[in-house]
Amino acid sequence: MNELDLIDDFDLEFGVNAEKQRDRRVWVTVDREALMDVGRFLFDKGFEHLSAISVTDYLDEGVYELTYHLWSYSDNFLVTVKTKISRNKPAIDSVTPIWGESAQIHERELHELFGVTFEGNTDLAPLFLEDWDGPPPFRKDFDWRKYVKENYYDKENEREKHYFI
Amino acid sequence: MIKKMNEKNTTSYELLFGPAHPGSGNFSVRLRVDGEQVTSARADPGYLHRGFEKLMEYRDRMQNSILSDRVCVFEALNWNLVHAEAVDELTGEEIPEKARYIRVLMAELSRIQSHLIWYGATSMGIGFDTGFKIAFGYRDYILDLFELVTGGRVYPAGYICPGGVRRDLPDSAKDKIIHVLGKTREMLRKCESFEKTTLRHRTKGVGILNRGDALRLGATGPIARASGISSDVRFDDPYEIYPELDFEIPTRDEGDAYARCIVGREEIQESIRIVEQVLERMPEKKLEPIKPKLANKIPEGEVYVRNEIARGEAGVYMKSVGEETPYRCKIRGPSLLHMVPVLEHLLKGSQIADVPAIYWSLNICPADMDR
Repeated sequence: MNELDLIDDFDLEFGVNAEKQRDRRVWVTVDREALMDVGRFLFDKGFEHLSAISVTDYLDEGVYELTYHLWSYSDNFLVTVKTKISRNKPAIDSVTPIWGESAQIHERELHELFGVTFEGNTDLAPLFLEDWDGPPPFRKDFDWRKYVKENYYDKENEREKHYFI
Repeated sequence: MIKKMNEKNTTSYELLFGPAHPGSGNFSVRLRVDGEQVTSARADPGYLHRGFEKLMEYRDRMQNSILSDRVCVFEALNWNLVHAEAVDELTGEEIPEKARYIRVLMAELSRIQSHLIWYGATSMGIGFDTGFKIAFGYRDYILDLFELVTGGRVYPAGYICPGGVRRDLPDSAKDKIIHVLGKTREMLRKCESFEKTTLRHRTKGVGILNRGDALRLGATGPIARASGISSDVRFDDPYEIYPELDFEIPTRDEGDAYARCIVGREEIQESIRIVEQVLERMPEKKLEPIKPKLANKIPEGEVYVRNEIARGEAGVYMKSVGEETPYRCKIRGPSLLHMVPVLEHLLKGSQIADVPAIYWSLNICPADMDR
């Protein structure tokens, strides 16, 4: 199977237009409802390695875009599946039933940094941040400079007062 | 850091391995032990979380290239390369021929020194002090080369940057590199003859990761190759000048800690071969230094770039909306998968005495896990 075969398969199975960006790179956008079906379809096609999951925050449109980067060890190319979810109540089905623990840890990270709830993921415990009570820190509307100033700097402190000028 | 779990059962404890353990490096694992056996392990990362993905959204490409050093202390040049490639793919800029050679040369030297740290740390963990001292001693020769070429021994300050490399190799570099390669070969010979005494006995048959688990848990790089998955990004998803070079992918089927050590050592040998080929074919023409430009916008688009670094697969997803700074930069480090799912899986059911051997055989780096 090569990139073009997969693009045809996408058209046949799901009626979506996948795009070949360059050699060994295919990008496809799907609805969030179709994500699990697309995931299972790709896993069966040999995309066994979930390289990464990422979230991009589009503040103006009010959406989160999730990207799943999948690599096939047998056919040696990468498919990126993109899907959009609402930013206000971000929730999506977990892909752990398909990719197992490797998906689990990526989802756990994104839950902490972006506040996305992955339904079906049993372990979304905090990963990197300790005793964090602020908003998810990687959101575009989180002003970390302001947060740090308010929480960690002291106006009375000789060495830190210039941050408040 | 020992906590008794149950008053009635006096052999059941919770043990903290790290973060102050020598060599564990800003990372800890909570081990539940029953007698000598580990019943469960829970990784506790986050001691080195600096939020690079967020920081990069506020900085331009040259600033980010310096920042990318810090993603992993032990292989700064490799991370420089991943970041630079992501930006280059977005801008579509033509990289000078010689810069491509220098990029691969530096990335491979960086791989060798990173594997030496791995070898040294594993040796230290299992009480094979000779291996530790030899590996770290010989690594210094490579750091001397980095100092000569980039100006920094550990952090090259974005030497491999978008558009090529910051400056050409100094004239004396070629001879010195050949000299250091000879030294490294000498070291490998020494290690091979020494390690039968300790390394082999402490790591053989310990922490076996079979092929199916390696796939499911997301292992990549030397860890996956020691479990029989023959995959190398340099080969499968080639970048820079790798398709023109002749090298092999060391693979083993055993999947134990010893196999991982051997794969690491064989990879050093392959990297030496690559460096020699690169030096042989490198164009003679002098390279112009890169001059950082102000208001240098990155064209709109999104890319996902994968590279093979010493620890496994590194990836950068970069989204640009046509500003100077990237809109989103996701960094995929190999250690996140190796240190949480793989480590927890391997430690469960092991003996306390084998914990260091398993832990260090995974070639871990807390810095690229936490980012």
